[in-house]
Amino acid sequence: MADKPSDLVQGTLDMLILKTLALESMHGYGIAVRLEQMSKGVFRLNAGSLFVAFQRLQRAGLIRSEWKATENSRRAKYYVLTEQGRKRLNSETREWGRQVAAIARILETS
Amino acid sequence: MSLLRSIAGGLRSLFRKEQVTQELDEELNSFLEMAAEEKMKQGMSRKDALRAVRLERGNLEVTKEIVRSAGWESFVETLWQDLRFAARMLRKSPSFTAVAVLTLALGIGANTAIFSMANAFLFRPLPVKNADRLMVVAARTSRYDPPIPLSYAAFLDYQRQNNVFAEMTGYALDLGGLGTQGHADRIVMCYVPSNFFTMLGLRPALGRLPVPGEGDAPRSAPVVVLGYSYWQHRFGGDQRLIGQSVNLNGQAVTVIGVVEKGFKGPYATVDIDAYAPVGMYGAGTGSTTFFTAREDSDFRVLATLKTALTAQQAESALNIVAQRLAQQYPQTDQGHIIRVIPEGLARPEPAVSDSVALVTTVFLLLVGLVLLVACVNVANLLLARAAAREKEIAVRAAMGAGRLRLIRQSLTESILLAAVGGAAGAVMGNWACRTLEQVRPIGDLPIRIGFTFDWRVFSYVATIVLAAGILAGLAPALRMPRTNLIERLREGGRTLIGDSGRHWLRNSLVIGQLAGSLIVLLAAGLFARSLARAESVDLGFDRHNLLNVGINPGLQGYDQPRAEAFFRELLRRAKALPGAESASLAYSVPMSYYNDGGVVYAEGQASATKGRAPGAGFNSVSPEYFETMRIPILEGRAFSDEDTAKTDRVAIVNEEMAKRLWPGQDPIGRRFSSISASGPFVTVIGVARNAKYNVISEWPRMFFYLPLAQNYKQIRVLQMRTSVPPETLIPVIEAQVREMDPNLPMFDVMSMEKSLNGGNGFFFYKMAAAFAGILGALGLVLALVGVYGVVSYTGSLRTHEIGVRMALGANPRNIFGLILRQATILVSAGAGLGLVAALGVTRFLSSLLVGVSSYDPATFVSVPALLIIVGLVACYLPARRATRVDPVEALHYE
Repeated sequence: MADKPSDLVQGTLDMLILKTLALESMHGYGIAVRLEQMSKGVFRLNAGSLFVAFQRLQRAGLIRSEWKATENSRRAKYYVLTEQGRKRLNSETREWGRQVAAIARILETS
Repeated sequence: MSLLRSIAGGLRSLFRKEQVTQELDEELNSFLEMAAEEKMKQGMSRKDALRAVRLERGNLEVTKEIVRSAGWESFVETLWQDLRFAARMLRKSPSFTAVAVLTLALGIGANTAIFSMANAFLFRPLPVKNADRLMVVAARTSRYDPPIPLSYAAFLDYQRQNNVFAEMTGYALDLGGLGTQGHADRIVMCYVPSNFFTMLGLRPALGRLPVPGEGDAPRSAPVVVLGYSYWQHRFGGDQRLIGQSVNLNGQAVTVIGVVEKGFKGPYATVDIDAYAPVGMYGAGTGSTTFFTAREDSDFRVLATLKTALTAQQAESALNIVAQRLAQQYPQTDQGHIIRVIPEGLARPEPAVSDSVALVTTVFLLLVGLVLLVACVNVANLLLARAAAREKEIAVRAAMGAGRLRLIRQSLTESILLAAVGGAAGAVMGNWACRTLEQVRPIGDLPIRIGFTFDWRVFSYVATIVLAAGILAGLAPALRMPRTNLIERLREGGRTLIGDSGRHWLRNSLVIGQLAGSLIVLLAAGLFARSLARAESVDLGFDRHNLLNVGINPGLQGYDQPRAEAFFRELLRRAKALPGAESASLAYSVPMSYYNDGGVVYAEGQASATKGRAPGAGFNSVSPEYFETMRIPILEGRAFSDEDTAKTDRVAIVNEEMAKRLWPGQDPIGRRFSSISASGPFVTVIGVARNAKYNVISEWPRMFFYLPLAQNYKQIRVLQMRTSVPPETLIPVIEAQVREMDPNLPMFDVMSMEKSLNGGNGFFFYKMAAAFAGILGALGLVLALVGVYGVVSYTGSLRTHEIGVRMALGANPRNIFGLILRQATILVSAGAGLGLVAALGVTRFLSSLLVGVSSYDPATFVSVPALLIIVGLVACYLPARRATRVDPVEALHYE
């Protein structure tokens, strides 16, 4: 069971995408690969949820997009973190840390 | 910000759909290519790589759908598709659409009209400051009496002693005469304390309003403020009027201002012509009892509740004050119970507001029932169409349309129908209101009903449109999922009689419809019977061939001697007219809108009767009154010309008053007073038969008559008993009055029979009977359309079966009987159910009916019989059609 790719915790995908984009702007495939690499293969992302998340984040003004050429000189849509997105990432990271710590405390006490 | 961006993004997807789709395609393609490239670097063939990506990441076509349907715009898009599809379907069958729209328009139109009236009468707040905290304060003089206005003296006490209202004001409603340069009008006016305007936050449209304290003391400020409409139509909006002197009830007063346009006055339904300071009350007659008499009930109190207090809390607080006052003034205030009622719930009078609310509720329910019947009709039509469209729906389901999607489509269609019907209905309802606005319930008074299509009416109509659309579409929509796809397609639309589920539904809808319309019809029948009973009630006088002419010489500033001379001459001329049998004068007309009344004290009984003295109405009349009205004098004598201001004060009492004040004794020669327990007294010289005095529905009440010669009134009504139709004498008598004084206005010039159609007469019975009748007719027609539709539809479904029967030897008579039997069961079941329901419902009408029980057997037998007969007639045509089926053709058809 443990070696199969896991589903993401509800609502965390947006945060992970923002985190990925915090380093540099990236196209859709790049984001998927980066997430999988960083999670060491724990997460396997479905294109459907990924692109819905892009649309959602874009409409919320947390990311914006631009068409650019890739290193292989292919045209791709790059996503860029906005100032608002950066702020949201910071606050969500803090919140996440608090929650994880709290959950860990609860689990350890028993 | 992000909401705006989301809307912008959605709009972009909606309106630049191609570009957005293309972009998404391109993006996903590049995603696919990049992923495949990765795999190919590891040595896979391109084909295998693409397959692997699809396995890992999901099908990209599906991804596109998911992304596309994730935004809100996809909902709008489907809705738009559904709407276009629904509109196309409705256009395709214009006769179905026309019938459904017309049905809904009738139902919604009737609802709009009734609601607009309720809105105008009850729901719309006064356009004043703090309208939500505005209360009416009224007093019940005993536990059994309805709440009535206070006396001005009591108002002052409550104003001083209460701690629950931010402010208290009020008004005394009166008829007055306002004249300028030889022309006088009879007007409706309010006498108000100076804080009336400030408390209600009113502004002048012109000039100024009274300043605080101005005119509150008796006779201190001879000024007047005009109502906007009166200023417009009487003075043409002349701005120079401000500062000018006019004649108000014979007193010279200065016009200081005009009140703002939006404010029509504090009394629901009457457009007030003028406002005078409360200190001017009675200035024309020289009487100042208004300011001190605690037994009066002329002052309608308005109060602004302090924030965070409720009407109940205010009521309890005021009743503590009331107990204090009862100790202080036991003669007049004993037993008073104060009521604090939100202004909107106390219209037009706190005493009758309960029945106004009841009438409104009853009619809203009846009209709601009519709408329900209309909805069922449309539901049945939709069901029939759903059956015809079964194949189409099955195909759509097979193509992948989900159940919810199909239900949504079906509801979109019925709501669209309801919206079109609602638009037509709103126009119809508005038209009905305009027509109703022409109806004048009381004489010449400036009645304002003011139907306007405000947001309340609009949201009500929108709500019932939505409800009607959902109601009508629900039955066919809910049937969607139950349709077994494969079977429908295989059957090829052929439905045998075995489809009992749908028959059950359609039949019960028709039964419910018949039951609903029977309830409405029964209510209509009861109101009609009630009107007939009210009209045949013994009024105690002869209403036929009687003409009334109202005159007030005070409008031209006549003093008492001049007015009395005028009336003597008028009476002489009236009696001499050809066609006039007799003529008399009186202060008030029975069942009209003003009358006298007060408490009476029988001489020597004041200490014997505990608590309050009993109340009685009275009228001041000339000697010929009883002859002209044909009211029999049972004992003693009528007034004569010998009873003058110089002789003994006399009175004639009615039977009821004689019986109640002097039970078992001869009333002639007894004395009573209408002023105080210690007199002055008047002597009873005669007993008149009981009659109706104030309202048609009243029980025999105490009443007495005083001679005009001993009780001067400047407002008088000339009444003429005629030998010709009374209307024919109107121009003749008007010419006579004009000859005597060309500037003197006459009012309420009409026959007694017409006068009896006023607000206290038959008006409400007629309106109720007319409304209920229209609703009943509407319900009946709609129910018949429903029965006809269902019977002819099932007839057409059974064509095949009937063909088989006829081929096997059934004759047309058998077939006719077969169809009719089914129809009879339907109609009788509907009538039976309606009858049972109505028996439970009509008792709520009992307080609105006169002389008719709410279980009136005649109505409860004849109306259902009518419904059954008419229902069967509606079945006749389809049943006849069924007998004409040609067996060969019917069998071929399959």
